[in-house]
Amino acid sequence: MAVRTVLEWLNSCSGCEIAILNIGEALVPLLTRHLELVHAPILMDHKYLGQRGDGTEFNIPEAEVGLVSGGVATVEHLQVLLQMREKCRILIALGTCATHGGIPALMNGQDRKEGWEGVFQTRTTDPGCSVPDVEVPAPLDRVYACDEKVEIDLFLPGCPPNPALIAEVLMAVVEDRDPVLPHKSVCDTCPVIREGKGAVSVVRRFLVNAEFLAEDPIDRMRCLLEQGFMCMGPVTAAGCAGGGLPRCIAARVPCRGCFGPVRRDGNQMLDMMNALASNGSDFKSVVDRRSLLRFSGAHGGLRPLRRKSAAERG
Amino acid sequence: MGFEPKIIAFCCNWCSYAAADLAGTARMQYPHNVRIIRVMCSGMVHPELVLDALSHGADGVIVLGCHLGECHYQDGNRKALARSEVITELLEDFGYETERYEISWLSSSEPDRLVKAFTGITERVRKMGPVNARDLAG
Amino acid sequence: MLETKKVGSVMIVGGGVTGIQAALDLADAGYFVYLIEKSGAIGGAMAQLDKTFPTNDCSMCIIAPKLVECGRHLNIRILTLSTVAGISGSAGNFKITVKERPRYVDVDKCIACGLCAEKCPKKVSDEYNAGTGRRKAVFLKYPQAVPLKYQIDPEACLQLKKPGSCGLCEKVCDAGAINFADTEKAHAFSVGALVLAPGFEPFNPEAAGIWGFGKFPNVITSLQLERYLSATGPTDGHLARPSDGKPVRKIAFLQCVGSRDENKCGKGYCSSICCMAAIKEASMVKEHMPGLSASIFYMDMRTHGKGFDKYYEQAKSELGVRFVRCRVHGVEPHGKNGDLRLRYINEQGRQVEEYYDMVVLSVGIETPKHMLDMADLVGIQMTANNFAAASDFSPVTTSKEGIFTCGAFAGPKDIPQSVVEGSAAAAAVAQFLAPARGKLTRGKAYPEERDVSMEAPRIGVFVCHCGSNIAGVVDVVAVEKHAATLPFVVHVERNIFACSEDTQQTLISRIKEKGLNRIVVAACTPRTHEYLFRGTLKAAGLNEYMVEIANIRNHNSWVHAENQQVATTKACDLVRMAVAKITSSVPLAAVTVPIVPKGLVIGGGLAGMTAALSLAEQGFEVHLVEKTDKLGGNSLNLKHTYSGEHVPMKVAKLIDRILLNEKVILHKESVVSGVEGFVGNFKTTLKNVNGRSRTIEHGVGIVATGGKIYSPDEYGYKTIRRVVTSIEFDKLHDLKETHVKRGKSFVFIQCVGSREKERMYCSKVCCTHSVQSAIELKREDSSRNVYILYRDMRTYGERESLYKKARQMGVVFINYELHGKPKVTANGKSIDVELWDHVLHRPLLIKADMVILAAAIVANKDAENLAKLYNIPLEENGFFQEAHVKLRPVDFMTDGMFMAGLAHYPKPVDESVAQALAASARAATLLSRKEVTLDAVKAIVDPAFCDGCALCIDVCPYQAITLVEKDAVTADGQAVKIVAINEAQCKGCGLCQGTCPKRGVYVAGFTLDQLRDQVRAALQA
Repeated sequence: MAVRTVLEWLNSCSGCEIAILNIGEALVPLLTRHLELVHAPILMDHKYLGQRGDGTEFNIPEAEVGLVSGGVATVEHLQVLLQMREKCRILIALGTCATHGGIPALMNGQDRKEGWEGVFQTRTTDPGCSVPDVEVPAPLDRVYACDEKVEIDLFLPGCPPNPALIAEVLMAVVEDRDPVLPHKSVCDTCPVIREGKGAVSVVRRFLVNAEFLAEDPIDRMRCLLEQGFMCMGPVTAAGCAGGGLPRCIAARVPCRGCFGPVRRDGNQMLDMMNALASNGSDFKSVVDRRSLLRFSGAHGGLRPLRRKSAAERG
Repeated sequence: MGFEPKIIAFCCNWCSYAAADLAGTARMQYPHNVRIIRVMCSGMVHPELVLDALSHGADGVIVLGCHLGECHYQDGNRKALARSEVITELLEDFGYETERYEISWLSSSEPDRLVKAFTGITERVRKMGPVNARDLAG
Repeated sequence: MLETKKVGSVMIVGGGVTGIQAALDLADAGYFVYLIEKSGAIGGAMAQLDKTFPTNDCSMCIIAPKLVECGRHLNIRILTLSTVAGISGSAGNFKITVKERPRYVDVDKCIACGLCAEKCPKKVSDEYNAGTGRRKAVFLKYPQAVPLKYQIDPEACLQLKKPGSCGLCEKVCDAGAINFADTEKAHAFSVGALVLAPGFEPFNPEAAGIWGFGKFPNVITSLQLERYLSATGPTDGHLARPSDGKPVRKIAFLQCVGSRDENKCGKGYCSSICCMAAIKEASMVKEHMPGLSASIFYMDMRTHGKGFDKYYEQAKSELGVRFVRCRVHGVEPHGKNGDLRLRYINEQGRQVEEYYDMVVLSVGIETPKHMLDMADLVGIQMTANNFAAASDFSPVTTSKEGIFTCGAFAGPKDIPQSVVEGSAAAAAVAQFLAPARGKLTRGKAYPEERDVSMEAPRIGVFVCHCGSNIAGVVDVVAVEKHAATLPFVVHVERNIFACSEDTQQTLISRIKEKGLNRIVVAACTPRTHEYLFRGTLKAAGLNEYMVEIANIRNHNSWVHAENQQVATTKACDLVRMAVAKITSSVPLAAVTVPIVPKGLVIGGGLAGMTAALSLAEQGFEVHLVEKTDKLGGNSLNLKHTYSGEHVPMKVAKLIDRILLNEKVILHKESVVSGVEGFVGNFKTTLKNVNGRSRTIEHGVGIVATGGKIYSPDEYGYKTIRRVVTSIEFDKLHDLKETHVKRGKSFVFIQCVGSREKERMYCSKVCCTHSVQSAIELKREDSSRNVYILYRDMRTYGERESLYKKARQMGVVFINYELHGKPKVTANGKSIDVELWDHVLHRPLLIKADMVILAAAIVANKDAENLAKLYNIPLEENGFFQEAHVKLRPVDFMTDGMFMAGLAHYPKPVDESVAQALAASARAATLLSRKEVTLDAVKAIVDPAFCDGCALCIDVCPYQAITLVEKDAVTADGQAVKIVAINEAQCKGCGLCQGTCPKRGVYVAGFTLDQLRDQVRAALQA
């Protein structure tokens, strides 16, 4: 019997949903044979409060498995997520926004009020506008990852997540087994030449090309971090690899860290800065270090800078 | 009773832990707020431990290593120092006052410096109040 | 001539710290040891002390592990209540008969429960407590005694004196250990050598009468004070007057009771240890009783050892101990309530009368008659002062071949020097018995390790009282209760002394009975006691790393003594943290590496040569490195040792022996330029004067790089000719230089560069040196005026006879203080020396032909380089820092490295030689093994998490981490990488662990998760 499945999206860009489509051929038997999609806003118009909007009960059908993408930024997101948790036996956080806050959680590094005003009151184009208090769901104090609000059974990070891994997870549910997922860092599948990071004194932004010979395969290229570029590979969860190679590295571009920290409760900025300092690199050469948490700003990773008291400011 | 801060101290086996032993032998009295965790080298302390301590309610964290140049493991304490600079910078990012963290150096025969360091951080943190007690957003 | 077949066993007489050290070193180096102890338990005088100077370490705490180690060593057989009864045979194969007095308690049955003593009706004065307390007729010598067995005192026991009159102990002993029918046993042992380390006895001041000892109850000896201060003493560490229990507010220490006093005690020598002991005791009583005033009456403050002058200064300036330079000749009663009166002439020349609650006699040490009888029996020569006679160049070898000596029996000395001599005697024996090494020893066998990997944690918590050290402050019952609530804790108990032998047995039985697989001991510091408990776990069949120590003494009861409540809370926290840590501990396998059986000695002076020769004669190849083109070092500047031996001749002989010994490979004009490796497998690169490099593989290293003479800036040394240093003077004197030859007035100034702010230590040799030179000048021409300007004359030990002789010959000794240093100015052909005379109380001008400066010995600059290369520490004055000032005086904290001679601290010839031999003995305990077991605290790669990102490679200070390829490949066939650790190179510092973002590498026993668990446990309210 097909597994009843729901899809939901919270603070999401629908990239994760496109990743589902990108499963490709394997999607056909999944959709036709193994899964029964009973609720998926991206595919079908299924209103939460009845089709005419006149219901009083929040309505997501019960299902065996739920995939939720996006983080939790508003009251509505939270409501939906709580519903999902209530209705789904297995709840899967899909994509880095769901697992670690993702790009929207960059907001967490700023004062929320200033942030919202920035979004809704761009004075140059919208003179006289204010932050709406109707029609738009009220924002939470910050952007949360799903597991900060409800219990999550399975995490599948990635921006976007790897379609092959989505298929693996769904098949594992269907077959009632543990999915086989990578748990090491991007370096695990990175074939570049590594010797040690001790020689890196300053870290450069990726504004010039890395050094390599175009005709050489990737495994003849020197590690991009060891070339002095801010490559987040060592602190970032693996999973992006397609055809065995990390995606960005395959394009000879440093890892941006889009799968979030290698250990679920790790901190990409802290780990990266620590690794650099331990190796004698000047960690102050890292431009905008807070952007190292660009994918994992939830879980309290990014916070507004503490305002110093008058005494501290001197 | 007033606020009694909780301080976690990471002490290296060779200098500061030994100095703490000696402080005991010499019956030097110091604030009871400090809990010492023995590590082989100050360079063994991952910054994660410092943050973990603060996030679990430590009001202050101090790392005590050998004097620079006297590390039992060549330059482990220099690594610890480099890390400390990172920690100090990042504490602000994570919403903690930098004064809650300190790294200091002392030799195994300087229990007086240890007592001073322990007293120093305890009194400083006592004035600051409990960790995260302040509204983070200011 | 037929060489006697040498026997691979040794008898050591005396179970004090000296004998114990010799026993352990010999047993570890492949000889079977019979340790003969006169009393019922080993430990000697050190076990009676409360604290030890200059670190104020608890004496029992630091000796207890050695006692236990001795007690459980497979190759040491301890015979208590035993004495040597006869000796026959010859060196290399003695037949020694030993008389073992009856104990009347069966040691195999006695469980030391103490019921017998509880019921015993007879009380007598307790020797262990120096007569301050009482014990029963059946008794245990002291709580930590090894062996931990009761004994019956036949002199006191009612039943033994009149059978049928008592026998209570026999009735109450459930173990059936009491045996009134026990008889004296005679043993005969074949041994290759005999080591005499019977120690000393404190001088008994009663007979002399003048101090009122034995008459006035509040006059006590320094040893009795130790017992009063000790937590295990008669008053549980509380100092109160014996007469009325009144708290002591004013206490006086009288120095040189039974020392430096031929009139009343018949002892001309200085006992060497009493000055430091008095300072320590004065500091301790002041600490015990704030507000107490303590005065020390002394003639010369002899604080000549390492760290001693600093200790003295601290006592004076920080603790406020009062020092009065004056000999007090008697103690009188004052009134009827037990107060005491002292009358003395103060430094201003006035008669003063003072009153004290208590007077402590700093009694000297002496060799008692029974030891003299033994010396007679075995046939060795003694000195006029009744100490074993030995050459300064072989300070542990007696006059009879095959018989060696060490410790206070061979001359007054403190604990470190005794320990040095214990090791030195071991080296001398090992040199002598080299062919028989390993012939009679047995291997160590531990029960097979229980596999606990599939078991859930079952933690046992043992809370130590440490006498009253912990229990006096911490509510140990509350700690016990708290421990019982913690996860996985299945057993909790309290012990009076967790380190004692009986507790080790308890631990072993609990582990077995309760199926414990992890142990937490809440006691003192793991730095001294961890290995003891590890050994116990091994003996119980558990992996030795399954124990964690919660330091509730040094880090708690001792530092929060004023607040019992917080100390108890903190003790609970510390126990919780230890439990949290041990919960996730896993068994660790020790790493063994083979030992290269070669030694490297750096420095070709007296110490270096002695050490090298000793190792070579023990059968090991030795590389001897000397930076100059000739051997001899500073000894080339010396003429006579204090006992008058001719240094050049002896050194020349030593050099010959070095050159002739084919096991010594000499590297002259060479210095160490690079070091790699670790204990058992060092690789040292030497660079010679031609720039050629050579790498030597060796298992151990001995640093004997010497010291050098301070070049004075004071007293016109650099401007006035004929102001010379003592070494320069010796040369001029030797060459019969005209000014020396014709000179009529000589002034020696002591402490030039020593005992000053920037160099707060005593150079130890200069007083004796100046006195010897002065005697020589007087001997040549008695009409010469010879003055020695000193701060304290430090002719310690048997050197005192020189000081006496000089005074008899008319050498004038004038005391000066640091604030009134002599002024030296050139005045035409003579030199004016001005200073304040403390006896005449007026300024004094001496016209001198020559001024001789006793310049300090300072550390060699080279030491800094070696310190970096070998990772060995220097102390504040630039001398090398030993692992423990008392009990590991020649070891470095770094395994496999040892030190000797001036590189450690200024010292005379005999002490340099002893230390060199000691270093050789310690080195031989390693070299005589095939392999060394390294600490298992090392980095381990977790293949489940490491992905070879290489962040840790360059962080490792030892280049122990390399990137390797795993067998696995990625989807597109790329080899998967991982790091690998070279276990032998890794030292377990954990820099890798502090760097890795993914728990890919961790240090066993200190994993990030364990540390985090400790943090969280600490923060649990």
